[in-house]
Amino acid sequence: MKYLDIAMEAAKSLGADYADIRIQKSTTQTIYLHNLSLKNTSTDSNEGYGIRVFKDGAWGFAHSNVFNADQVAATVKRAMDIALLSGKAKKGNGLTLAAERSYIATYRTPVQCDPFQIPLKEKVDLMMEVNRMMMNYEGIRQAVFYLLMHKDEKLFASTLGTRLDITTQFINPMITATAVMDGDSQSRTFDEGGRATGWEWISQLDLSEKAKQIAEEAIIKVKADTLKEEQRRTLILDPNHLGLTMHESVGHPTELDRVLGWEADYAGISFATPEKLGNYKYGSDIVNFVGDNTLSEGLATAGFDDDGVPNQRWYIIKNGILNEYGSTRDTAPQIGLVHSRGCSRATSYYNQPINRIPNLYLLPGEKQLTPGQLIADTDDGVYIQGRGSFSIDQHRVNFQFGGDFFWEIKNGKLHRPLKKVLYKSCNPEFWNSCDAICDERFWRPFGVVNCGKGQPNQTGRMTHGAAPARFRNIRVGGSQ
Amino acid sequence: MKTRFESIAEYIKKHVKADDYNLHISAMNQHETRFAQNAITQHIAGENININLEVAFENKTGRCSINQTDETALANLIKTAEEMAILNQPDPEYVESPKAQTYPEVQNKMKNTLELKPEQMVEIIRKSIANGEKQGATVSGMTEKHQVDVLFSTKNGFQGFYDLTDFGHSMTMKKDHIETKVSFESKDYGTFDLDKEIECLNSQFDALKTTQPFDACKIPVIIRPAALMEFYMFMMWMMNRRQADEGMTAFTDQLGKKFLGEKFSLMSTLSMPELVTLPFSRDSIVSEETYWIRNGVVETMPTPRYWAKMKNLKPASPFNIFIPGGNATEEEMMKMVPRGLIVNRFWYIRPVDMKAGELTGMTRDGVLYFEDGKVKHAVNNLRFNEVPHDTTRRILALGESVLTDSSVKLPTVLVDGFNFVDKTTF
Ligand SMILES: [Zn+2]
Repeated sequence: MKYLDIAMEAAKSLGADYADIRIQKSTTQTIYLHNLSLKNTSTDSNEGYGIRVFKDGAWGFAHSNVFNADQVAATVKRAMDIALLSGKAKKGNGLTLAAERSYIATYRTPVQCDPFQIPLKEKVDLMMEVNRMMMNYEGIRQAVFYLLMHKDEKLFASTLGTRLDITTQFINPMITATAVMDGDSQSRTFDEGGRATGWEWISQLDLSEKAKQIAEEAIIKVKADTLKEEQRRTLILDPNHLGLTMHESVGHPTELDRVLGWEADYAGISFATPEKLGNYKYGSDIVNFVGDNTLSEGLATAGFDDDGVPNQRWYIIKNGILNEYGSTRDTAPQIGLVHSRGCSRATSYYNQPINRIPNLYLLPGEKQLTPGQLIADTDDGVYIQGRGSFSIDQHRVNFQFGGDFFWEIKNGKLHRPLKKVLYKSCNPEFWNSCDAICDERFWRPFGVVNCGKGQPNQTGRMTHGAAPARFRNIRVGGSQ
Repeated sequence: MKTRFESIAEYIKKHVKADDYNLHISAMNQHETRFAQNAITQHIAGENININLEVAFENKTGRCSINQTDETALANLIKTAEEMAILNQPDPEYVESPKAQTYPEVQNKMKNTLELKPEQMVEIIRKSIANGEKQGATVSGMTEKHQVDVLFSTKNGFQGFYDLTDFGHSMTMKKDHIETKVSFESKDYGTFDLDKEIECLNSQFDALKTTQPFDACKIPVIIRPAALMEFYMFMMWMMNRRQADEGMTAFTDQLGKKFLGEKFSLMSTLSMPELVTLPFSRDSIVSEETYWIRNGVVETMPTPRYWAKMKNLKPASPFNIFIPGGNATEEEMMKMVPRGLIVNRFWYIRPVDMKAGELTGMTRDGVLYFEDGKVKHAVNNLRFNEVPHDTTRRILALGESVLTDSSVKLPTVLVDGFNFVDKTTF
């Protein structure tokens, strides 16, 4: 596209040390069904370009939705002017960018059946059927089906000579049933957090079956007992639940920009500081976390990041020890790294890219272990499924998590359903208390499509994954 | 901008074939400068527009939004929305678009903010950093300026326009274990006083120099406005009329009852010129002086248009937040209880139990311990599990209400027996 060249030439002639342009069209289709009422059926798109100029160790970023040569050149000039202004408030010589070579490449999320091409009627009919199924249950007062489909089409050029043509997309169905009974109200949700794939995934999911299950479980949950006093107990966490736990307690604290204090005013900083690299016991010996932007169907898998750095796979925690961070071209050199790990991502064309969590997952256990065996091997504990309330301090140390569904375990068996269960723990206690992880047959990916970070706020997405795992001696109790 | 919006609205009016439509156009001009660890790390400028069209054939609806304004794009916008509506299933809860209504005149666009230059914004940051460096500390924050224009237009004759400006500056200062923050946000840059903000930051910073460990317990707490905003915002969100009527929240069957504490009122008001006051909501509910809670009695709940139509109620939507204060100073509050804590801010508040209205969250940016009417030292951050409506019954005193955000004005409050349940390491 000619605007890529116009922008790069303009940047060079203005004397930029580095510049890139990202032309991006984002399209979202949303269908929101609430008690058989179609609250929102929409197709939203925005297209434009963001231009970054790096000059004398400082960034400038300008964006526009007007596509013509003059406006592209004017936007480059604006980004340059802003970079010069930024340079008036820098430390020493300012920032440096990690070394990178040029690439010419194309990436497409592998999709067999593009959800945008599925007739609206087919989608709505399916959603209506699922919604009706839940509403048919006595006691279900609210049934929600939220279907989200998103596509980003990007063209990227940098003054390094890189030219990228990237289209990524994902789909996320979310179903919630809320039961109201005996003065209480409880919800149960089916939500795998989205996958970078096509409609074929929806066809495999058997959402009608899932709808029945969650409606029934919402009713079981609203009638369930609560745990009263807080006690040290054993927890078994399912992969969906662990997805959010690792997101909050491993993903965010190992974003290098947070480690450097770049998010100090808003999202917060990190306890996992650089002197801990290679020696800090983040988890027990069986805890291995991998950053992997090459993960098939991963929400952060895109071939390259928005710095033009290729997707990679690396250990973030290895045998329990903090190994490395997720980094970008501007954060990596701050701790002496030569290369970026490719974690720079922006949400829309008008966002300046920031350091993001990669696809990040817990490796499965090496010994053969099924979830059934894990429960059978647990005398007294709580099994938590799905995601619930979660809150963590801004250094990512102390946290409190809920869940979506709970079973009390007694003598190796699921004893009774529970509701309103909360557990409190902290880093590094939590991951060090992990004493068993099921094997790879039970490893499952779960996405996060709404990771809020940055100012102005950006909504990031990435995939996590785990096999069911056990944690000993955690403070578990009921809400008030 | 208004004329440009009106010509888009004209085009839509002329070309829409659907039985009904709602058109919402908004444009934003942004300049945002983020700084961290005493240097600018991000710096953004640009303009964007969003044209959002919802159409209906009888009660079959479709919606589309774009950010391009040429006729081809607008024609495509109409086509996409109409095709979606035609292919869609009927919506039993569809409400026809609003008719012409008069809405209050408001002044949210301020000359001082419009005229603020990027160079001045960088100068504000340089001064903020210099203050931090003087104390061997790092400063991080954001300086931002926005101009927003909004037009709303419907098939049935509602047409409304408003514009607003916004200026914000925040500073987090950190040195070793000390970490504290101040933030300013207002429609009017003319009311910003950097020296005053820095003075406040420095005094918070100095107060945190000696820290002692503190275990979680139930204790009286003085909640400063920035913390209170986070806390009661969640309660407001849980006050939706439909969810209450359907039995899903703590507010079920509480309308007209003294469900909250006598000392607590919560309003949306047209009478405070310093607050950003939107004349109508996103779904075109016209703003009116509203007591949501008056002296502890639940007077009105936010009511969506469909629920209002169905239950024969008046639709209502919060357009700013004002909690009337009292005249107690922090010094006086400290003398009202034997000991307690002062909280600057809360962080990561999340619902724990929707039906009970229970929330969890952490303190952030400094907690002080006081005893015998005096601040003794700072303490580590704490986690709470609390029910906001319940805390209003334990309010012992309120301070003067102050501008906390461009559309929020709140007091400092003293709450008895605040339920802290855990502590963290810093
Ligand atoms: Zn996140």
